[in-house]
Amino acid sequence: MSSGVKPGKYFVQGDEAIAEGAIAAGCRFFAGYPITPSSETSETMARRLPEVGGICLQMEDELASIHSVGAASVGGLKAMTISSGPGISLKLEGLGWGIKNEIPYVVVDVQRAGPSNGVATRVGQGDLYTIRYGSAGGNASLIALSPKSTQEAFDLTIECFNFSEIFRCPVFLLTDETVGHTRELLVIPEESELKVVKRIKPTVPPEKFLMYPLDTPGVINYPFPNIGEGYGICVSPYTHNSRGYASTAQDIQEKMAKRLVFKVTENLDKLVRVERQKMEDAEFAVVAYGGNARPAIAAVDMAREKGMKVGFFRPIIIWPFPDREVLKVAEKVGKILVCELNIDGQLSREVARAAKGKAEIFHLGSGGVEPHLPAQIFNEIRRLYP
Amino acid sequence: MATTIIKDFCKGCGFCIANCPKKVYDLSEEMNKKGYRLPNPVRIEDCIECGLCDLYCPDFAILLEKTKKKPHTQGKEGR
Amino acid sequence: MSTVGETLNLLHPLVAKYLRRERMPHMACPGCGIGQVVHATLIAVDELGLTPKDTVWVQGVGCNSRITYSTWVGDNVDAHHGRMFAVATGLKMARPDMNFICFTGDGDCGAIGGNHFIHACRRNLDVTAILFNNGIYGMTGGQVSPTSPLGAVTTTTPYGNIEDPFDMCKMAVAAGASYVARWRSTDFKQLSNSIKKGIQTKGLAFIEVLVQCPTNFGRYVLKSSSPQEVIKYIKAHTISIKDAEKLPPEELKGKNLIGEFVHHTDRQGIVERYQQFLKEHQKE
Repeated sequence: MSSGVKPGKYFVQGDEAIAEGAIAAGCRFFAGYPITPSSETSETMARRLPEVGGICLQMEDELASIHSVGAASVGGLKAMTISSGPGISLKLEGLGWGIKNEIPYVVVDVQRAGPSNGVATRVGQGDLYTIRYGSAGGNASLIALSPKSTQEAFDLTIECFNFSEIFRCPVFLLTDETVGHTRELLVIPEESELKVVKRIKPTVPPEKFLMYPLDTPGVINYPFPNIGEGYGICVSPYTHNSRGYASTAQDIQEKMAKRLVFKVTENLDKLVRVERQKMEDAEFAVVAYGGNARPAIAAVDMAREKGMKVGFFRPIIIWPFPDREVLKVAEKVGKILVCELNIDGQLSREVARAAKGKAEIFHLGSGGVEPHLPAQIFNEIRRLYP
Repeated sequence: MATTIIKDFCKGCGFCIANCPKKVYDLSEEMNKKGYRLPNPVRIEDCIECGLCDLYCPDFAILLEKTKKKPHTQGKEGR
Repeated sequence: MSTVGETLNLLHPLVAKYLRRERMPHMACPGCGIGQVVHATLIAVDELGLTPKDTVWVQGVGCNSRITYSTWVGDNVDAHHGRMFAVATGLKMARPDMNFICFTGDGDCGAIGGNHFIHACRRNLDVTAILFNNGIYGMTGGQVSPTSPLGAVTTTTPYGNIEDPFDMCKMAVAAGASYVARWRSTDFKQLSNSIKKGIQTKGLAFIEVLVQCPTNFGRYVLKSSSPQEVIKYIKAHTISIKDAEKLPPEELKGKNLIGEFVHHTDRQGIVERYQQFLKEHQKE
């Protein structure tokens, strides 16, 4: 199968770049429901997926989208769905099915101002904890990457698909309306430069294969056989043993919980992706992610012009949260200013947790609708510095 | 006709006893491990091989070996 | 000669061929009609020559899934409550070459899964869906369901159900399914033939089966846990489509019609549509 994308330079929105990234990664099933500000991705997929022989369906609701995406992956196709805050809330049960059965697929959240329906067409950053902890029952880990630009939207979508196959789980692309709707340069590389992870298949016969490796919780790059491949797979929303048979036994529940958490937490080194700018001699750090990273970087530059030793840190991997890298920042600087588009403090809470008291943490919040202005962030830096 | 009741599949629902047109089965005193009283084909000589007991059984606990008609499924060995 | 024998190596031929020995006996209560429907399904599968390699069993949540999930020796995909049709859509579109026998329940399909049910019919998804309609939420202990009769006493309608029941076959017909039928779990021959017909029909085959639930419907609604009593009740409240045509509407109140409602042999399912669509639009 060829990559399905044409190398070259394009001037597109982040939402469209996500669609191209998915196709480049081998996604051949997409199901979604219209919701601003993600609809452009669905519309691009509707146009482009049939061109590469893929299946694109507008389902009857958000739940049907995620459930059919998980099922299509069980059926053998790389699959993706997309939504925004209110729709992600609806998808959480389906996400649980994917997590529990270790099904690879990608979910994109183009965050908008909330809570509830909020402002459909404008940016917000309120879903950090929703995607991580919103699905029932805990006992799971989550992988989520967050782009700050159209180019990253393309690149990280491919990375999300790759992680989903390596870790055999749903992976989130956590983006926002600013990135989704900003038109800028996208460079699609030659096919030979694209790094796409293929689905791993078992090398042992069915009677020797365990669908869910509960006894080796930390193992990754584990095979994922699909229907019709002779493995008699069993996929179920209930707690099940290694063969997929439902169980109420305490030891099975324990093993399953550990499997779903440890497979990510024991492989953090493979996941860490961060951005640092001007951190070498920084005494003050600004932290932001997604579309709000752009004004933060600009504000840091403004501060540097005034002679302030300010640096910028961005988690590209949002979950699992890059604790070790944030701790290093906290040990280096005296103060960290976290700029995010919510008032309740989500990213700042994670930074404070990871910092373990090694630095003072400040939260510059905004309800959303607009990203922070560089001047807003710069004024706050000036107020708090040193 | 030969009839075998697969003891540990039977759940004592009584369908075979109640619905046999020739009243071949009685309720036995014998119980399986789960405490279900098993059916006993005491009047097997009256059996007309209708196969209703097999179809009525929700638990695949009745094995029939038809002598008059061709069986609709093959084999009865376990796996 | 007859024996009441130890099981050890004896298996019903259909179990030996199609079900996982270690999962038997299945989880159904004594006298539950679901086992009879599974038997009819296996007869249909056997007579059509379907195999565990080319056929997947899909389920929702409820007695429908607890009894059929991981029982079939091939692939089993059990969805969340109500999402069976959505999951079946993803599976079938990814593997249009495979057969899917999908099980659901009156709560799974008629309540929480209503939306997916309607759209699976509208899309005419090429799978065979078998609805175990026992008129109650059995797995969770006897709550009222969208198909519980008016006046039924259940754990969540202790003073009697004041809502009218849902006619799911009518909904399936209205929404566009190719093949729609209703039987009772004791209509053995008609049921297995109907399932065969459904499997062979293009588009969605929706086969509703009225099944007896002695444990919950029997105890709460009929005040009797005798499986035979529930079967008698079902028979007393059903009438064939043919016989119903001769009666005025008042005499049909509280009765479920039994038989085939529609059988469109030429209605395209979404799979065929999509394959034609790709022929037109695929560039590589």
